[in-house]
Amino acid sequence: MMLAVAKAPHMDWSALSPLVALFGGATLVLMLGLLRPRFVRHTLVPLTAIASLGAAIGLAIWQWDRKADLVSAALRIDGLALVLMILIFSAGIATVLLSWRAAAPVEAAHGEYFALLLTSIAGMALLVEAQNTITLFVAFELLSIPLYVLCATEMRRTTSLESGLKYLIVGSVGSATLVYGLAMLYGATGATDFAAIAKGAAGGIGTDVLFLTGIALALTGLAFKASVAPFHQWTPDVYEGAPTPVTAFMAVATKAAAFGAILRLFDVALVDSAGDWAPAMAALAAITIVVGNVGALTQTSLKRLLAWSSVAQAGYILAGVVVSSSLGSKATLFYLAVYLGMNLAAFAVIIARERETGLGDHIDSVAGLGTSRPILAWPMTLAMLSLAGIPATAGFIGKIYLIDATVDGGYTWLGVFIVVGSMLSLAYYLRVIAAMWMRPAVGTELTPAAAGVGGRPALAGGAASDPLDPTVAASEGTRRAEPEVVFVAVLFGAATLVGGIVPSPLFNLINHAGGALGIF
Amino acid sequence: MTTTGWLIVGFPLAGCILIGLLFNRLSGRAAGIIGTLAIAASFLCSILTFISLQDRAAGHKQVVTSLWDYAVTAGIDAKLSILIDPLSIFMALVVSGVSMLIHLYSVAYMASDRGYVRFFSYLNFFVFSMLLLVMASNFLILIVGWAFVGAASYLLISFWYRRTTATTAGIKAFVINVVGDVGLVLGTFFIFKQSGTLDFLGTFAQAGKISGADLTAGCILLLVGAFAKSAQVPLHTWLPDAMEGPTPVSALIHAATMVTAGVYLIARMWPLFEQAPEAADVGMIVGLATLLIAATTALAQTDLKRVIAYSTMSQIGYMIMGVSAGAYAAGLFHLMTHAFFKALLFMAAGSVIAAMAGEQNLDKMGGFRRAMPFTFGCFVIGGLALAGIPPFSGFWSKDEIISLVAERGGWHWILFAGAYVGSFLTAVYTWRMIFRAFWGDPVPEAVELEGGHLHHAEVHRNPASGEEEDTGVGFPGPDHHIAEREFPMRAAMAALAVLATVGGFLQIPFGAVNAIDNFLEPTFAGSKYYSSLSPSDGFTLLGLVIGASLGLAGIAVAYRVWVQRPGTAARVRERLPFLYRLFLNKWYFDETIDVLVVRPWAAFGRFGQATFERVFVDGVLVDGTTGLVRAGSAAVRAIQSGFLRVYAAFVLLGLAGLALYFLIQAS
Repeated sequence: MMLAVAKAPHMDWSALSPLVALFGGATLVLMLGLLRPRFVRHTLVPLTAIASLGAAIGLAIWQWDRKADLVSAALRIDGLALVLMILIFSAGIATVLLSWRAAAPVEAAHGEYFALLLTSIAGMALLVEAQNTITLFVAFELLSIPLYVLCATEMRRTTSLESGLKYLIVGSVGSATLVYGLAMLYGATGATDFAAIAKGAAGGIGTDVLFLTGIALALTGLAFKASVAPFHQWTPDVYEGAPTPVTAFMAVATKAAAFGAILRLFDVALVDSAGDWAPAMAALAAITIVVGNVGALTQTSLKRLLAWSSVAQAGYILAGVVVSSSLGSKATLFYLAVYLGMNLAAFAVIIARERETGLGDHIDSVAGLGTSRPILAWPMTLAMLSLAGIPATAGFIGKIYLIDATVDGGYTWLGVFIVVGSMLSLAYYLRVIAAMWMRPAVGTELTPAAAGVGGRPALAGGAASDPLDPTVAASEGTRRAEPEVVFVAVLFGAATLVGGIVPSPLFNLINHAGGALGIF
Repeated sequence: MTTTGWLIVGFPLAGCILIGLLFNRLSGRAAGIIGTLAIAASFLCSILTFISLQDRAAGHKQVVTSLWDYAVTAGIDAKLSILIDPLSIFMALVVSGVSMLIHLYSVAYMASDRGYVRFFSYLNFFVFSMLLLVMASNFLILIVGWAFVGAASYLLISFWYRRTTATTAGIKAFVINVVGDVGLVLGTFFIFKQSGTLDFLGTFAQAGKISGADLTAGCILLLVGAFAKSAQVPLHTWLPDAMEGPTPVSALIHAATMVTAGVYLIARMWPLFEQAPEAADVGMIVGLATLLIAATTALAQTDLKRVIAYSTMSQIGYMIMGVSAGAYAAGLFHLMTHAFFKALLFMAAGSVIAAMAGEQNLDKMGGFRRAMPFTFGCFVIGGLALAGIPPFSGFWSKDEIISLVAERGGWHWILFAGAYVGSFLTAVYTWRMIFRAFWGDPVPEAVELEGGHLHHAEVHRNPASGEEEDTGVGFPGPDHHIAEREFPMRAAMAALAVLATVGGFLQIPFGAVNAIDNFLEPTFAGSKYYSSLSPSDGFTLLGLVIGASLGLAGIAVAYRVWVQRPGTAARVRERLPFLYRLFLNKWYFDETIDVLVVRPWAAFGRFGQATFERVFVDGVLVDGTTGLVRAGSAAVRAIQSGFLRVYAAFVLLGLAGLALYFLIQAS
């Protein structure tokens, strides 16, 4: 009977067009990467990637006021999805710019690198649109698998390989947990789509063991992706080892996508059983805030520091989900947008300094930056102040919003945790600022040997046919960071400041997204 | 109109940021020119806004314009908005106009200072803050502007940051101003508690409904803010010390603009003060006390700039008394004329001090009349205006305050009498200063200048403490500039001299000219006193005659004591040693505050440090917390081993915890 009536679902191509642009772009990039000319691989490929991301943003804006179920209600396009998509695509463009002249695409071949990036972005877009458990899981894997590979793209650096492998293995645990949880939810409610699960949950299923265990497992899987403690431990290792543009991408885009899925699953589908899951999630948020901030205190690697900081920030963001109110969801989205800006600015500066000095991402690499490179020091300063939540930065507004939501939602103690966490976090954010403005520069002249240019281990296969560009290798160390990296740093640094002084446009954007969800 | 309104505030901010960003690219006088042009643009916008405001219908002269809504939470209407109305535009015109001239003066005056660029960035920042303060349309922006001007004042007083005396003075000013800030913020809370809105117009609309006790408390706290900013007794001791800053700073911040913020505040809050007459009485009495105490102190001081500083306090005492008594337009009128002539006096004093190569002691000056004719002329015009001699501007504005205050009747006659005593003292101390600096035998510096050479100190010294200084950054520059030789200084002083002379004609009693009254009317619509305080022509005439005679008598006394019979001052000093010491030591306010406030608090602080802090704070809180964080950090690091199996184990443990929680929930 069921088999007999199976028919192809209606495809609403206009609503799917951003995804089409991304998948099309990924295919095109992969094909272009096969061509030999240097110009094609080094310039045309990233340009195509940017073009397809730009097209995706344009198409998302074109669909701005749509609210519809797509593909037999497997996906949903609405304000939440569109706002998050635009955030993720913007982060994607920034990542392409940051990767433009990085080592990773050269080693892994440009076509593959950017195609993987686009695929992962498409997975994220799918994830924030997902409206049933099957799409959710498929999208989750579609974003994860390319990321595992991207982490390992600096194939001659063992830490990059380690990072990819670790992410793959621990990530598999996360994925397994998620799929198990989704299966249990199906078992408990007999439905895969969120609307039906919501309906099932509303009918007093709140004490069902199968259902609750399912929620626990699904929460674990998504929390893993969002670096929520105690599922965060991969974060510092993977962030440190991965190529820095990829780290930047993971830090902002993955988090936005994961929280998008959490919002849709918990604050829409499971909102009626909030009384059951909210206390547990609140405990997770509190643990995350403490662990992330304490972990960041002693770090000397900037990437590790930002990794721990991203754990702490995940705790703040989760607090907005916990209250499961309209205000909370809006605060979550607002903070995600703000978080994207400040982290991209910080990572762009780290990338710039990695290329300018031989110190890698050690905190010494930014010492004395205030006098030597104020154009980099300012975005970094703004990013750090904003992450710490100092007034006149977007991070401050975001935190006020979150704290307001927690107090309003009856979780005042969680608001106190956010405040205490911010206080603790000053200890390490200010350390970076102090290094930039109050310490003299550490000998930054880079010798080729120190950079490991000459001493890269031989590698069989892979990108052997595409050795490192000799001109880049020779001039490394004395060169200044490329304009596109500085551009990303300045753009997002300025956005962080402007967002702190003129927050209303961002509020309007978030309200648009908020208007889409059922509980608003 | 709203655009030009925002640009009034925007230009100085842009100037500050531009100069700050280009700090190492600007050479020569470029920074000064940029700074001056920014303020000139702001002044131009003030004029444009003024014109468009004049075009509006009578009932629509209060416009609130909002850039964006800053509040994210419900319950507070915190908007970044400005209020364009006659009062704010009046203040904007005075502030930007006088600031423009003082910037122009500084272009030359500060030319050899190593901190030239920094100076103009600060100065533009100050003007931005001051304009934000006067144009704020709600308490939040007012507090921001209020605090910003305090910060700018601190930065500029301590501008020569290697001078210990300057940094101490800066700290003193900042601390006392913070006391005022606390008053303002607490006062705002009291009012907000009752009104539920931060918006000025919204608050004023329900001023009648706010209960008496809260409103009086709020208004008195607002007065604390006003007193600290405007250097009124007993929060005035910072102002004389603030003279450690460069002279243009004294002219701009500590004479013409910032110190009058308190007057503006009371005038702006008139609907509240009229509902809280007790608070208004406090304002009047403190104003009178300040004007008398400052005027007597000024008689005995020998530092040229400090004499003018005490005179500023005294004149602001008149304004505070006036606006507290309901003579709003008169108080603001005096604010304007005072800005003209006091800025002029400071500029002229700066020129004299430059001719003395940095020396500020009146005892060492004399006979500059021929050496510096232009400076002398300006000083005389300023002195005549300050002494209240017709037809100079100060004459009209001061007498209007006094006669309107008397019009309130009853005990206000005491204020009337006291104000005239002050008026006599004003003439004496002003002309004492002029006679001592410009009459008598020329001192060597004056002789040198007459010979065509500007005196140049061999060793640069701090005029207050006599310490030796170099001329690097953080100290005054090597060269001095006098008005006679610098066109920008002369232009600025000439403009102010004209304004100080004719500025009073904007408002002449007997109904002849009422420009200020008429212009400000919309802001004060509905006031109990604004138009009802109108003394009879006879009484006005009597007041004018008394004022002019007292001014002339004061000048005559000064002439007799310091020119005709130079020994008289010493004899008076011997005859009245007690009074002399009282005035010389500034009524012992510094000492009293030291004994009553500073020492007890310091003792309490030491006691607290020895007991509470060492045992509880250090031992339990600090060591405990750091220990806890350190232990936590160690634990987190220990778990962060890098081994996948550990990570996987933690995922599973966390999952187990979550599942367990849910299962317990379920059962």
